[in-house]
Amino acid sequence: MLTGDLAIVVYERGRALPDRLTRRTHAHYVGFTERMLAAYRDGAGQRRRDLHRAVETIFADEPDCDARRVRAFCKLLDDECDYDTDRTGRAAKLRLRVFSAAAPYQPLVREPDRLFERSATEVKTTIARELGRPWEEIEAALYADVIDQQRLKSFQGGADPLALLARYNVSQVQACLYRAERLTITAASDFKTILRQAKLARLLHEIERRGPTSYHIRLTGPASVLKGTRRYGVSMARFLPSLLACKGWSLEASLQAPWGQAVKLLLSHRDGLKSHLEDPPAFDSLLEEKFAERFGTEREGWRLVREGSVIHQDQHVFVPDFTFQHEDGTEVLFEIVGFWTPEYLEQKRTTLRRFRRHQILVAVPERSLHDNATVPEGYLVYKTAIKPNAVLEALERVREGGGVTRTTD
Amino acid sequence: MPASLRYDSGTLLLEGTDEQTIVTIFGQGPWTWDGRVSAWRCEAVYYAAVRAALRAHPDHQVIDEVPPPPRVGWKQVNLPELRPEQKQAIEAWQTAGSRGVVVMPTGTGKTEVALAAMAEARVSTLVVAPVRDLMYQWHRRILAAFDYDAGIIGDNTFNLRSITVTTYDSAYIHMPVLGTLFGLVVFDEVHHLPGKCRREAALLCVAPLRLGLTATPERSDGRHQDLDQLIGPTVFRMSVAEAKGRTLADYNVVRVPVALIPEEQARYEEASQQVRLFMMARQKEQRGYAWEDLCAESGKDPEARGVQKCYFLMKSIEDRAAEKLRVLEDIFRLHAGERVIVFAGSNAMARDVSLRFLVPTLLSHSRKNERLKVLEGFAAHRFPIIVANQVLDEGVDVPEAKVAVVIGGHASTRQAKQRLGRILRRSGQARATLYEVVCEDTHDVKRSQQRRRSDAYGRPRHRRL
Repeated sequence: MLTGDLAIVVYERGRALPDRLTRRTHAHYVGFTERMLAAYRDGAGQRRRDLHRAVETIFADEPDCDARRVRAFCKLLDDECDYDTDRTGRAAKLRLRVFSAAAPYQPLVREPDRLFERSATEVKTTIARELGRPWEEIEAALYADVIDQQRLKSFQGGADPLALLARYNVSQVQACLYRAERLTITAASDFKTILRQAKLARLLHEIERRGPTSYHIRLTGPASVLKGTRRYGVSMARFLPSLLACKGWSLEASLQAPWGQAVKLLLSHRDGLKSHLEDPPAFDSLLEEKFAERFGTEREGWRLVREGSVIHQDQHVFVPDFTFQHEDGTEVLFEIVGFWTPEYLEQKRTTLRRFRRHQILVAVPERSLHDNATVPEGYLVYKTAIKPNAVLEALERVREGGGVTRTTD
Repeated sequence: MPASLRYDSGTLLLEGTDEQTIVTIFGQGPWTWDGRVSAWRCEAVYYAAVRAALRAHPDHQVIDEVPPPPRVGWKQVNLPELRPEQKQAIEAWQTAGSRGVVVMPTGTGKTEVALAAMAEARVSTLVVAPVRDLMYQWHRRILAAFDYDAGIIGDNTFNLRSITVTTYDSAYIHMPVLGTLFGLVVFDEVHHLPGKCRREAALLCVAPLRLGLTATPERSDGRHQDLDQLIGPTVFRMSVAEAKGRTLADYNVVRVPVALIPEEQARYEEASQQVRLFMMARQKEQRGYAWEDLCAESGKDPEARGVQKCYFLMKSIEDRAAEKLRVLEDIFRLHAGERVIVFAGSNAMARDVSLRFLVPTLLSHSRKNERLKVLEGFAAHRFPIIVANQVLDEGVDVPEAKVAVVIGGHASTRQAKQRLGRILRRSGQARATLYEVVCEDTHDVKRSQQRRRSDAYGRPRHRRL
């Protein structure tokens, strides 16, 4: 991620517009990025400062180029670099040695006289002789550990200019989000990924259903309820790539502009920002995938939606594997319990107990039952695969009986 | 189910209480209802007040799940006998409920006051310092005073112990997980705390005991008033005038003007001419066209970008003027055998000086080990001269330098006072001297004038060397 000072944002009529380089508006930047990547790829042994100068030179005659844009590219490229940071402290050792050797002759004067008999040049020659290296070499090595002077060991940034441009665009949106107080996401799918990643970023959610499979998810941090705060902007920026990898979402971020006024950043999956992360998996397990395949999208009036509902209580969230929506408006949630560890089963049990007021049909593997266990209402036992007809039967019972009455455990 | 109070990443959560009870116990108190978690929430800084309110209403049972801070037993305490003003400071702080700010000029022993407070509090303590150097210095002082190897959080280290030292930046980042671990927090150079982000370090922790230390509490943005809420009121104040000549040495200020050499002068004038012409042309088109407008334009216009570069070149020529190195030689000759600290305006200039005279530098990126060796070497007269950039501006203990040379830097009152504080260590009768080397007829002169507006500089004597 970029540092906040490299953010380029235009604030216009209450909107925040982060810097964006597209093939339509900045076609010639593909050539620039190719040259930048080449400079770094062939730059092994060069000092960081020289690499940055090389990047500056590439943009020297480009009228449309903010200085921060150049520095942002340098930062993104540096992030993929391995520089010689002199971990063992060679330069520091050399400094102590040279400065200690020079100390008795201080001050080192230009022209010796009766009071100060040693000139700087003379002392330097003496030290060079002691160390057995020419003075020019010593002088170049004395401050080789300073960040600017560090030399490039290797570059792992790849060769795709479009990937670098994509990373630049995402990093500018992230830097813009450092000022965010709140994110409001409208999502139609991938709820699980969105909510799990939000939780990992230590954000709190508020969920509101907007349509059959459409939800508003508001993300803020713990103290946000006390005051508008940018404290969680960095967490929100960190969360962004996970969202970009999802489908069917739009985002409204509420920001504090530099002059204190409130502005919005609007974004959606249609903006084409590419995440470096992989798309979330379509199915959690093969079992679910097989079942969805067999059932099809619709059967006898029941429409099947994968992870189509979010149920929640405070900060506890449950996204059942499937939602069945009947033509007459009946809705039944369906959760498949797989073959997992006792801990997994215990966790599922807690979740189901917490959300027992919802209409959830649960499929459990025969293996997980005790011997002679009676199968309670609302449960469906399967051996290796879940049969669509058995599910349909259970669904119809719910529709006729007016609900799932599930006894726990 | 009885109500419970717990810590949640920088805030307090009160669960199982209705609004009526909240009003009864806390009045208009700090709580806000948080529907996201179905509980009452407030900033952790209110913990002491919340505890006091709960104690005053014992009939309402609230289980306090905030873990109490660990107690600390000292193996030994080696503290020097406190001077009367230091004793007064400690007493004033304790009388104020061990919450408040102590204002004492640099060099009057603020650290000793804090160490004495720690010795008596005997509770887990976090010391927050502005920069890494200061953090390490606190580590050394704690080791010397209590024979205790304090934990360090910062400088790519996360070593948490009952007594830990850290920086403001690290405190801001890590406080959500550290917030309940300390009973006492010491904020060194506390004028940094009211900054927009840094204040969070004080807001996010429950520590009931808080001590702020500074020589210069006032901030130009007026935010120093917020310290009341973040730490507590100013409980003790000792002015520079009181300290001067008593605990601090007397000092002279000598201003040394230097001229650019012809080659620099030519480059400077050319650059300056370009900036002037560009600005005049723009101002003809647009009244009030200023430097900010130029910066905004530089993204779209290579000419503006060129002018911007000219301006930075001018600053760099001033900063690294060759003549400054010649004047330095004269000052070093004059004070041969005495310890001299040079303050440079940039890392590049500090390195210029270092490479010209082969003297050690203290730069912001210097590592702990090297820094320590340089400071020790300076104290033991092994290195008569050292060069620093902004590192030494604040609080870092420099052993009794009697001569300091400023060859660049910015014009802020606080920096000037702090810099003076560095060289004004008491040692016998010797007067300290501060040299200010500035380029004539350039911006350097303006900055020097602003610096001297600070009362600490007093009236300088002009001298040509």
